[in-house]
Amino acid sequence: MEIDWLKFFFYCYAALALFGATMVIFSRNSVRAVLFLVLTFVASAGLWMLLQAEFLALILILVYVGAVMVLFLFVVMMLNMNLSPLKEGFVRYLPLGILIAATIVAQLVWVYKNTDMAALHLGELAQKPADYSNITELGLALYTDYLYPFEIAGVILLVAIIAAIALTFRGPQNRRSQNIAVQVATRKDDRLRVIKDVGPDSDLKA
Amino acid sequence: MLENYLPIVVFIAVGMVIGVAPIVLGKLLGPNKPNTAKLSPYECGFEAFEDARAQFDVRFYLVAILFIIFDLEIAFLFPWAVVFQQLGWPAIFAMGVFLLLLTVGFIYEWKKGALEWE
Repeated sequence: MEIDWLKFFFYCYAALALFGATMVIFSRNSVRAVLFLVLTFVASAGLWMLLQAEFLALILILVYVGAVMVLFLFVVMMLNMNLSPLKEGFVRYLPLGILIAATIVAQLVWVYKNTDMAALHLGELAQKPADYSNITELGLALYTDYLYPFEIAGVILLVAIIAAIALTFRGPQNRRSQNIAVQVATRKDDRLRVIKDVGPDSDLKA
Repeated sequence: MLENYLPIVVFIAVGMVIGVAPIVLGKLLGPNKPNTAKLSPYECGFEAFEDARAQFDVRFYLVAILFIIFDLEIAFLFPWAVVFQQLGWPAIFAMGVFLLLLTVGFIYEWKKGALEWE
């Protein structure tokens, strides 16, 4: 009975993911397309959850739905795009798209045919105990065997911060902000000039 | 393990029913007599001046990217918080290096003024 429920949820989430992905392509409004992409990610998170990857499923929702999709929405609104010129190339690029899709399908079929599915122990997935912690396993692997890639990820994130600022930050434009260091370092001579005698020949006369 | 998530599935199902049911009931039971005057735009008696989709500033994009980066940092912190007592000082040192790298980036964006809004 357990397996039947797994299959039921698998087909629910798979159908939802396919529906969402199809609507991403076919929706006319680009903001709606982004929202359907959110639906696709949530359905994918459900599928990952069925594969017992609970931490990755929750991180998918946290990072992709919570952050990346917000970025996509900002980009869509920033570009303010009108979809009609984008649709013009649809027929022209259709053969290329079909070719790429066919290649990916062929690869998937090839991998499926040439993999010994019994060797993957798919049956064992459903037999984890109730207190099995995905996060512990992941942490034990990540901070011992994969320590070096983890630190590289930190460096990549640092580069991403600097690159994002360098690409999009234009500096203060009309901001009236205090620079306290400059204020404190100001000396009397910078601000004040004592004019002792303004004669008729002085250039200080207004 | 998955049986722990049964309440969440029930919660999602109930939430979807509560969300969808009023709309469907309204469609089915309510009177439906559309005409053009009902669908025409209005704004204090005027025609609407422009499209609701105004162009966004690029600064929103910068804030979103910086948010994603620190979101990912949190994603790395969760497994670490679970296992660091088991792994001891090497794990603490490793996370220290990781956090140090991101703190350098954070100080950079702070000093650059990228977090300040005009």
